Amino acid sequence: MRNSTKTLEFRLERTIPAAPGEVYDAWLDPKTPGTPWNESDKLILNPQVDGLFNWLIRGTSHYGRFTVMERPRRIQHTWVSPYTLGEESLVTVTFEKRANGTLMTLVHSDLPDDEKARSHEKGWAYFLDKLVDSLGSGTRQRT
Amino acid sequence: MDRLTDVLTALSHPSRRDIIRRLAAAPARFTDVARPLDVTLNAVTKHLKLLERAGLIERERRGREVLISLRPEPLRLVSSWVHEYERFWNQRLDAFEGYFRRMRGKDAGHTRKRRTKAAQKKEANR
Repeated sequence: MRNSTKTLEFRLERTIPAAPGEVYDAWLDPKTPGTPWNESDKLILNPQVDGLFNWLIRGTSHYGRFTVMERPRRIQHTWVSPYTLGEESLVTVTFEKRANGTLMTLVHSDLPDDEKARSHEKGWAYFLDKLVDSLGSGTRQRT
Repeated sequence: MDRLTDVLTALSHPSRRDIIRRLAAAPARFTDVARPLDVTLNAVTKHLKLLERAGLIERERRGREVLISLRPEPLRLVSSWVHEYERFWNQRLDAFEGYFRRMRGKDAGHTRKRRTKAAQKKEANR
């Protein structure tokens, strides 16, 4: 058995040009592009506390349970998929009023981690991506 | 050991990351790689072996010299593995934000198209 006491999380932010209530409702509407439930092969969605969802896309099933529903401020649900190694991770989305719309923050936490994953940071991964992109196969050609 | 483990092991030591940065600039000889590092030549040899095992470097004989060059491709294993969900949510949020920005553009179009266009032009010229 794997010991999954270690987890990682990340946070993403976007400013959406609409009021928090409008953004909150749109996030729960499968018809809105970019929501987790948009473009599904099969979808069961019951967005209320203790309501469940199942989102099937390209043969991959994602499951979850809504844990917090506070319109228009906060939505939280669990998230289980092959990428979480079948373990429960947590997605928290908050909506804060700003002068130019809504500051939307998405935090995906409790993602299973292990010893190797801890050995590098996000900034390092970003650097690697840039490095690979900028070098491509160029280094090899020059040799 | 799988490939990802080899790559992560290779990246887990600061000297080996220094070597990668050095080789990212240009291929180098063993002595060039070793000089800036504050470690024994023996240690450098060990670091290079681990980098080689991970497929991150290549050695090529050039006459009497051996040139060491970086092969960055295996680094992709690390970044894509860790960024699986970050990439997913980034794409989703971009689409979500884009939807709202298009919507707002349409709304504005009905009532004050000209002013919006003028404002956009001003914005673009800034």
